[in-house]
Amino acid sequence: MTQTTSIDAVMRTLADPTRRAVFERIVKSEEITVAELTRGSGVTQGAISQHLKSLKQAGLVADRPEGRNVHYRADPKGLAPLVDWMALYAVFWRERFANLRTLLKEIDP
Amino acid sequence: MNEAALKSDTQDIVVDDVLPHAPETIWKTLTSGELIGRWLMQPTGFEPVKGKRFTFQTTPAGAWDGVVHCEVLEVTRNECLAYSWQGGHDSNAHYGARLDTIVTWTLARVDGGTRLRLVHSGFVTPRNDAAFKAMSEGWKKIVGRIGAISGE
Repeated sequence: MTQTTSIDAVMRTLADPTRRAVFERIVKSEEITVAELTRGSGVTQGAISQHLKSLKQAGLVADRPEGRNVHYRADPKGLAPLVDWMALYAVFWRERFANLRTLLKEIDP
Repeated sequence: MNEAALKSDTQDIVVDDVLPHAPETIWKTLTSGELIGRWLMQPTGFEPVKGKRFTFQTTPAGAWDGVVHCEVLEVTRNECLAYSWQGGHDSNAHYGARLDTIVTWTLARVDGGTRLRLVHSGFVTPRNDAAFKAMSEGWKKIVGRIGAISGE
């Protein structure tokens, strides 16, 4: 788990609506370049690059240089500070219920 | 985030489902260490005996070794099982934060099976501002961090 990224840093980074929109697009893509992010965004490539820099510093995105392009992808670890125990356990128990259903089918068809 | 935004409260998670099996069958899956390991996580030292202490190993975080400490609080055969669920460390925020909760399973025979109800109670949740709430709702869907709880 990323312990160095505080929730404050993550929240500050995602408080900007444009930056949040950039992040959401990265999350939805497996990998995406600055040029692809700029297209249809309504902001300049320079602005996108600045947002990417902030997202990277907050641990929310990771990059992979390839030739002239840099591919960005979401780093789910960066979001960990945003997700509290309760949210995690709510999903966890729903999943475990599904497991239990499957197990019961096996042992008591 | 200021102090006013961090007023604490406790909340419960409730999952309620009708399963097409007898209470006795479901009871076995809740109270056999081997079966618990097949749908929840492998417990160490579990026995369905009041006062029995057992553990689950999950992913460590910071000063927390990832061990969830449990103690059986209530055992009513085929009806109710409750255990404490404690872990985390004060130095962690969110994943790995101090956790002092109770897990209660209730079984009730109904037409066609059993109503199984889980209540995981005692979550201390910071009351964050609206922005944080709105965000975390969205992120919950995309963050597959459940593996960490299960130590995978």
